Amino acid sequence: MDEGLKFTPTDFAAVVNQSLEYGFSNILIEGEVASFKINQGKWVFFDLKDDNATVSCFMVLYQLRMPIEDGMKIIVKGTPKITKQGKFSFTVTALKPVGEGSIKKSFEILKKKLADEGLFDLSKKRKIPEYFTNLGVISSPAAAGYADFIKILNARWGGIKIKVAKTQVQGLDAPEQIIRAINYFNERGDVEVIAILRGGGLADDLACFNDEGLVRAVAASKIPIITGIGHEVDESLVDLAADRRASTPSNAAELLTPDRKDVLRVAKSRVADFYARLCSAIEAEKQSEYRSVERVSNIAKVKLDDFRKILENQIKTLEALNPDEVLRRGYSIITGKISPGDVVKITTFDKIINAEIKEVYERK
Amino acid sequence: MSENEATSKTLSEKIEELEKSTDWFMSEEFNLDEAVEKYKAVIGLAKELQKNLDDLQNEIEILDKDFQK
Repeated sequence: MDEGLKFTPTDFAAVVNQSLEYGFSNILIEGEVASFKINQGKWVFFDLKDDNATVSCFMVLYQLRMPIEDGMKIIVKGTPKITKQGKFSFTVTALKPVGEGSIKKSFEILKKKLADEGLFDLSKKRKIPEYFTNLGVISSPAAAGYADFIKILNARWGGIKIKVAKTQVQGLDAPEQIIRAINYFNERGDVEVIAILRGGGLADDLACFNDEGLVRAVAASKIPIITGIGHEVDESLVDLAADRRASTPSNAAELLTPDRKDVLRVAKSRVADFYARLCSAIEAEKQSEYRSVERVSNIAKVKLDDFRKILENQIKTLEALNPDEVLRRGYSIITGKISPGDVVKITTFDKIINAEIKEVYERK
Repeated sequence: MSENEATSKTLSEKIEELEKSTDWFMSEEFNLDEAVEKYKAVIGLAKELQKNLDDLQNEIEILDKDFQK
């Protein structure tokens, strides 16, 4: 009895805790929630159980990032401890619901809460710039989704400096890492857009994108955020809080950048339009000058016609005064002295007659 | 627009300039005296744009910062 190690209760609890921390640091336990309660608005207590055993769990409220309630299946991460009161407890640092039913339930509870706070309001969405040269990417460079994004981005557009924050994109540690990356970009302010990317996966894999802290960080970001998480059918709360949601990482690349082929096609079409407009303007100018010349020509023609008419009238007048014309009408011209016995010369239109004057008397 | 001015502009600035020129060509301000010079400038801009779009690559930097801590 006296040969064993001797401890005070305090020392024993400290040694056991040290051993537990060494042997069971950051282990995961999956089970069903029971007796869930929050004390003093700060401390969270619940039991995690299965058919044969129950583990008491404790955590601080700010670490509870997804709503849970009794009956939900969850997975927790943490370290076992002996309390000062000698009770065994599991101190939880992170948790997430598992299984379709629990994930959906947690999702709906948190969605309603955050929607009521206005985190998903369309009026709060920031505009993603049409053209930008600095992009922050938060993803795992080893993931297929990231590779798809880069491939599509490179094919569509160039001249972008992409800074990649390497984080986990699934699991209990992912939300905190992504939050740090969002804060990092916001503090530095050297990117114009942030893209959070993660390829498709099971609902459990994507559950980290329903983390309350992460959703709030996305909504609070000063830099606009686009998400490309999972597939078309997957909708996370981070998607709802983001300024733009793409259905996949590839789609995010498509939404962020124009296609250089389209831009070139439009540019060529515009140049062709310019050319057509220019030709049409030149043609219009030619037509205008032609019409001016034609107008001047018409004016000159009218004036000439008037002049011709005047001239013709004058000619007619002159012709009317021509002695021959008078003679043609039957008149004649008598020249010489007009006294009885004198011989006068009578000129008609076609004859000249010498005639002797017989008698001369007054007409009136 | 000199060649240096053209190359120093960003892609978005060039596209914006092309759009402005389109607007001018289709607007009431259009006049034949300026149009020929503007057309030459637009051709130069379009060529520059094509070259940029063909040549430009994205730069990727994987940040050293450890976001696990």
